[in-house]
Amino acid sequence: MITAGIDLGTQSVKAVILKDNELISRGKAFSGFDPAKAAEEALGEALKEVKLAMSKLVHVTATGPGMDMAPNSNSTVSMMGADAKAGVYLFPNARTIVDVGAEEARAVKCDVNGIMMDFVVNERCAAGAGAFIEAMARALEVKLEDMGPLSLKAERASSINASCVIFGESDVVSLIHRQESKPEIARAIFDAMADRVSSMVHRLGVNPDVVLVGGVAKDVGFVASLKRKLGIDVLIPAYPEYAGALGAALVAVNRVRKA
Amino acid sequence: MKSRNEEKKYMPEISKKEIEELRKTIEATSRKIVAENIEKMKKADLNRPKGMKYFDEIADFATREKEIRASKKEGKKVIGYTCLFAPIELILAADAIPVRVNSGWYDASKLGDRVVPVEVCPMVRSTIGAKMIALSPYLELSDALISVLTCDGMTKLGEILSDYKPVWAMTLPRVKDSEQSKRLWSEEIKSAKGQIEELTGNKIKRKQLKSAIGLTQKATKAFRRLQELRKGNPVIMGRDAMLVNQTYMWDSIERWTEKTEALCDELEKRASKKNWVCPPDTPRVMVTGTPMIWPDNWKVPTLVEEANPQGVLVADELCSGERLLYDPVGVDEWSMSDMLTAIAERYLMASTCPCFTSEDGNEDRINWMLNKIKEWKIQGVIYYVVRGCMLYAMEYTRVKKVLDGIGVPVYYLDTEYTREDVGQMKTRVEAFLEMLSARIDI
Repeated sequence: MITAGIDLGTQSVKAVILKDNELISRGKAFSGFDPAKAAEEALGEALKEVKLAMSKLVHVTATGPGMDMAPNSNSTVSMMGADAKAGVYLFPNARTIVDVGAEEARAVKCDVNGIMMDFVVNERCAAGAGAFIEAMARALEVKLEDMGPLSLKAERASSINASCVIFGESDVVSLIHRQESKPEIARAIFDAMADRVSSMVHRLGVNPDVVLVGGVAKDVGFVASLKRKLGIDVLIPAYPEYAGALGAALVAVNRVRKA
Repeated sequence: MKSRNEEKKYMPEISKKEIEELRKTIEATSRKIVAENIEKMKKADLNRPKGMKYFDEIADFATREKEIRASKKEGKKVIGYTCLFAPIELILAADAIPVRVNSGWYDASKLGDRVVPVEVCPMVRSTIGAKMIALSPYLELSDALISVLTCDGMTKLGEILSDYKPVWAMTLPRVKDSEQSKRLWSEEIKSAKGQIEELTGNKIKRKQLKSAIGLTQKATKAFRRLQELRKGNPVIMGRDAMLVNQTYMWDSIERWTEKTEALCDELEKRASKKNWVCPPDTPRVMVTGTPMIWPDNWKVPTLVEEANPQGVLVADELCSGERLLYDPVGVDEWSMSDMLTAIAERYLMASTCPCFTSEDGNEDRINWMLNKIKEWKIQGVIYYVVRGCMLYAMEYTRVKKVLDGIGVPVYYLDTEYTREDVGQMKTRVEAFLEMLSARIDI
């Protein structure tokens, strides 16, 4: 049985194809102004990679903030439900899935079958999410991908208040005026984000294993800060940004079986 | 009585022209929202009870405004209140009209930002904004306001509104069951009686008070009957029941009781025919938290009942809902002093407002919810908090612990008086409902 999952995120759309529960290909496109078109592109790319026609897909499940706009989808699933499914599929002992994307961060508690039991979402603010790193990288005049490695060079911790992207930026400016080094400021930025994300996890209760997914999981700086704040190891899959799409594709399998 | 020409303590001077312009725009939006909400409620239940027609009409502010205005011409006084502790029976006994004046208009909350910071609870800001442009007919028609000092927002709201009207502050003790608290509150009730008598010029006599208590007792009976009907498979959408409950805040109590009883008759027939408003396995949800005030602040009930997967609201623990009338005044002896004691007790002891504290952590609210969850077979609780609503926000931790203990999912939904976050809220509400229906598997 071949199924697909599409995750229509705020910044990019990801698609995943499963054959008999095994991941066989991925595709990605920028959301831009036309998420529906991006979804077609991402799914098209994934299909092309394994030389499959659209008609071979038995069921397509969409997730993500733009899920209602997905063309060719048979059903939808919440992002939290998809995270839970993907987390336990990737790491069978996972009980807490943390997903940090471009605009949103969330933590999901799940059971052994990957069924979500509880969840917390960051409170109407992008300060705990990827957009924050982007804004701060601009303020520091550092490339986004250099932020993480840079922060690892910090010799000590300084702090900023990441209650909001805008205030965070003015805090960074004051650190610059205090002539703090760039690595230390970069670390302060990740620490502030990790503070917000870890307090979300604490509200759910820290149930290991903790899995980190979403695009921000690729940032070594954030991962180091989050591990420090949680005080435990955090598991990260190979392609963390595809977790939502993977979860949706797994839900698609269930839906076919139940139908 | 002090002169109204005194310089205002809080409120800014705004030109008549600006007031007129703002009111025109916001009133037009309000009418649109009222119509939209009712339209959505009609669509949610294509076979909507006929009895709802009356409540749709009374939900339109203009309907009751006309009536109250006419009564005022005949010399009746109107007494507004912000919190549920205002002794309605005393107001009725003095032949005055009680109305709740809290504002649910989102646009008005933005005006309130001119007077107090945005960190303040939006219901308070909205009520201030409504007063600035004379938006709320109930607030405008009030001859005096009873401001019960419950939360910080309400305490200062009364002070701010005293720029316009006589405001009688009633000190509410934060600990319910001590002797000194009961004494203080009884004294407050007696002094409210004096103020009501002075304003209306009507001395409250035993006979009038007895019949006023009779009125609210009957209303409570009708109210409870409606909630009882929500115990089984759904015969009424949650929003419809919530609108019925809420109109009690401004309707004529006698007529409200009559119409609610009639609606219940209709619902009973529905139940006997197994005529459910949604599939019986629809997740049964209770909302608790910050009051939800008609017409704008209706987004959570709408989201829950229009979500995919759908939920149905079968109960609420809100001071704009079930807390309004859940407990009747219980009188043993119909003497004046016994009736006053009974009124004082009904308002103080029965309340589950988080402004109270006790050694066991506001146990009354917890127990009330546990009972509801059990009896009404509630599968999930949405804990709704607007920014700046400190008491509900803080008490969440306690409620969450208790509900985790009995395995009932609860979701903390934080929001503002705004229409812009509905998209984000939808994502969360739908994930929560998916979780409730998918504890089987998605």
